[in-house]
Amino acid sequence: MNVLHRVVITGLGVVAGPDCGTEALGNSLGAATMKTVVVDDRQGYHVPGSSRRAVLTTGVDLSAWVPPAVARRMSPPSRLAVAATQMALVQSGLAGAVGGLSTGVVLSSSLGPVTSTEQLLDVARRDGPQAVSPFAFAESVANAAAGQVAIFTKAQGPNLTIVQREAGSLTAVGRGAALIASGQVDRVLAGTVDEMPPLLHALIGRFDALAKPDETGAEIARPFDARRNGFVVAEGSVVVVLEREDLARGRGARILGRIRGFAGAFDATAPRLGWGGGSAALAGALDRMLKSAGCRASDVTRIVSGASGAVAGDRIEADVLKAVWAGAPLPTILVPKAYVGQYGGGFLAGAVLSVSGGSFGKTPGFESADPALGIQPFAGGPLTPAPLSLFTTIGSGGSASWLLVESA
Amino acid sequence: MKKATAGPAAPESGGAGRRVVVTGLGAVTAAGWGVGPLNDWLQTGRTAIGPFTRIDHHLQRTHVAGEVPPPPAGQARLFARWRRYSNTDRFALFAAVEAAAAARLPASLHDRASGVFFGSSTGGLFESEQFYSQLVGHSTDVANRSFLASHHLSAPAEAVARQFGVSGPVETLSSACASAGLAIEQALRSVRSGEVDIAFAGGADCLALTTYSGFNALRAMDAQPCRPFRADRQGMSLGEGGAVLVLEDLEHALARGVTPLAEVLGAGSTCDATHMTAPHEAGQFAAEAMRSAIADAGLTAGDIGYINAHATGTPLNDAAEYAAMRLVFGERTSDVPVEATKSVLGHLLGAAGAVEAVVTVLGLMHRVVHPTAGDGPCDPATPLTLVSGRPRAVPDLRYAISSSLGFGGANAAVLLGRWMPT
Repeated sequence: MNVLHRVVITGLGVVAGPDCGTEALGNSLGAATMKTVVVDDRQGYHVPGSSRRAVLTTGVDLSAWVPPAVARRMSPPSRLAVAATQMALVQSGLAGAVGGLSTGVVLSSSLGPVTSTEQLLDVARRDGPQAVSPFAFAESVANAAAGQVAIFTKAQGPNLTIVQREAGSLTAVGRGAALIASGQVDRVLAGTVDEMPPLLHALIGRFDALAKPDETGAEIARPFDARRNGFVVAEGSVVVVLEREDLARGRGARILGRIRGFAGAFDATAPRLGWGGGSAALAGALDRMLKSAGCRASDVTRIVSGASGAVAGDRIEADVLKAVWAGAPLPTILVPKAYVGQYGGGFLAGAVLSVSGGSFGKTPGFESADPALGIQPFAGGPLTPAPLSLFTTIGSGGSASWLLVESA
Repeated sequence: MKKATAGPAAPESGGAGRRVVVTGLGAVTAAGWGVGPLNDWLQTGRTAIGPFTRIDHHLQRTHVAGEVPPPPAGQARLFARWRRYSNTDRFALFAAVEAAAAARLPASLHDRASGVFFGSSTGGLFESEQFYSQLVGHSTDVANRSFLASHHLSAPAEAVARQFGVSGPVETLSSACASAGLAIEQALRSVRSGEVDIAFAGGADCLALTTYSGFNALRAMDAQPCRPFRADRQGMSLGEGGAVLVLEDLEHALARGVTPLAEVLGAGSTCDATHMTAPHEAGQFAAEAMRSAIADAGLTAGDIGYINAHATGTPLNDAAEYAAMRLVFGERTSDVPVEATKSVLGHLLGAAGAVEAVVTVLGLMHRVVHPTAGDGPCDPATPLTLVSGRPRAVPDLRYAISSSLGFGGANAAVLLGRWMPT
């Protein structure tokens, strides 16, 4: 494999639900409480008795990152992505200094811009198709956020929007790193964005994917727990600045992590709306990725799992990890979605933050391990920098993605 | 058999790595189900755009589209769960199965290093609109959730992967009208780098109320079938369908005893970064995507003998694309034959780059440039060599470039070459 350049992360921008910025997210991870709110159900989309809570960006002030006059012309995902990008660039020390053909953009979205499409269809139904807003249409395409990020930063290199359900965020970073490593660009703004309007929340609920209200009415994601019964959805955007390592070090940038490996795979046994049972094939793909990166499972010092509380999703995640470790003890397993929910990038942000240390509270919602899985997530406490972290996510529908990240 | 491999920086560039060839083609378009009907239609110089029934358009400004005809009788019996898939999934599946058969691939690729790289901008949007209509028009009880089973933009690629037991990367690029061009680029880099040996590269999209209303809201649609680069052009026409190219490592294909149909020599992509819907007037970054593809192939602009243009038929797009061609091809711009496939099939949005790549491969195989539908004079502001009436033979045709430009300023270019064994 002809790798021309090593790739590092030099910036992280976060709007994960109500947490705006890495410090706010770090506090939430340390406090170990998921900040859910009740989703507005006045439009009548929700089935009576269904799940109602989500981690939303309601009330978050992005005006420091996206001028209100500009934000008004953007869909919610575009606003979130531009804000996260601006934060990432400030942290990397590159604010105002990127752009041109040497800068690419690779964003993922699991679900696309739903609000704009809903508005368009509502107007077409109510007032006829000729009343449809061209603005709403332009912002209804999945790459609206990536386009707006490019416009805002003048990034004129490759501009990709990857849709791969829950696996997309790691693929965006992996493919972004590949663009740099191969010499196509010097830096990439990579990340993910998703919104969670009431319509989308209600639709996901219709497929019994959401955590059910317990006896107290609480809806809790319980990754790897015996009582897990679904995930809690979130909205937000997370963007990382990826750079050629020699250029980053040359300008004295703080290195948050180095990309050591990436791979994607597919479980063809997965149904359209769920997870399959092809753990052996996925484990083989992960094993080959580790070998390709020149390491063994025992070299991995921390796993950051994309487990969400989905019954079948957590099962195949556990089966893959156990198969790759082949009976050897697993390293510390962090499960960011227990703190920040599914979608919106909280998983990616938590994973990147964990590379250099920080503090995670006891994994929320976890009380007793599912004996069929035998996975014990992090019990809480300060984290030392992880020499080698494996980020892993297996999406519904079959796609899987893995990223190996070294601490600097 | 080798399985997919990966690393920190899988793809390579600069033409390094393995040679990548096209070993199979598949297509579903307004011309019919299959590459055969498409190739036959391309010879006629006529448009397949006309009245359509996919959506209720009586309140719209325009009333034509390139609609896929009903599938051949018995089609549903050939695919498991055919009736449960969205239209877009069906287009993707048919095209992939046709391409795989042409490439003489086995029915299952579970033990091969294979992947799927697809473009789509609508996914199951047509069916999701039906769900939404039931939801807001009736009640939550009436709305049938099965309409949503293929809602995801990634659903067509996943359907193809399931059909063949693909175990490598399955990625959907959704960058509006540049989606499939970008997907082909990703597939090229994946095969070239050794990540996979075989890749399904393509795209699929279906007509939908959202897109038809949206482009009309932008005043981008022509009431008549679109007439790219013609003096009287008024806008675009929407189409639907899917197309797939099997991309394969040359050595892998030859070892299987398969003769390549064409070679994928290079690709490039950029972003205008100026406006969400309007192209960069000077065509600077669309030109840069073409230059990157040409450089990636190790060729020069003078080597290109055929341009399959994005050519939507909107006054702004065609003018900007002509400007881009001028930047790349200079004085040769008016001499290189140009094909505007959208004049025949309509704009397939996220699948456009795939069907246009298939058409380009057909042109290279038969050493022709297909006619652009319509017979009006070329816009004097964009003086190009449009072929009209019937295909033009180009006996020494070796290299062609296909461009795709999309919302958000996304530009993609793919450089294809006639298969030459030496």
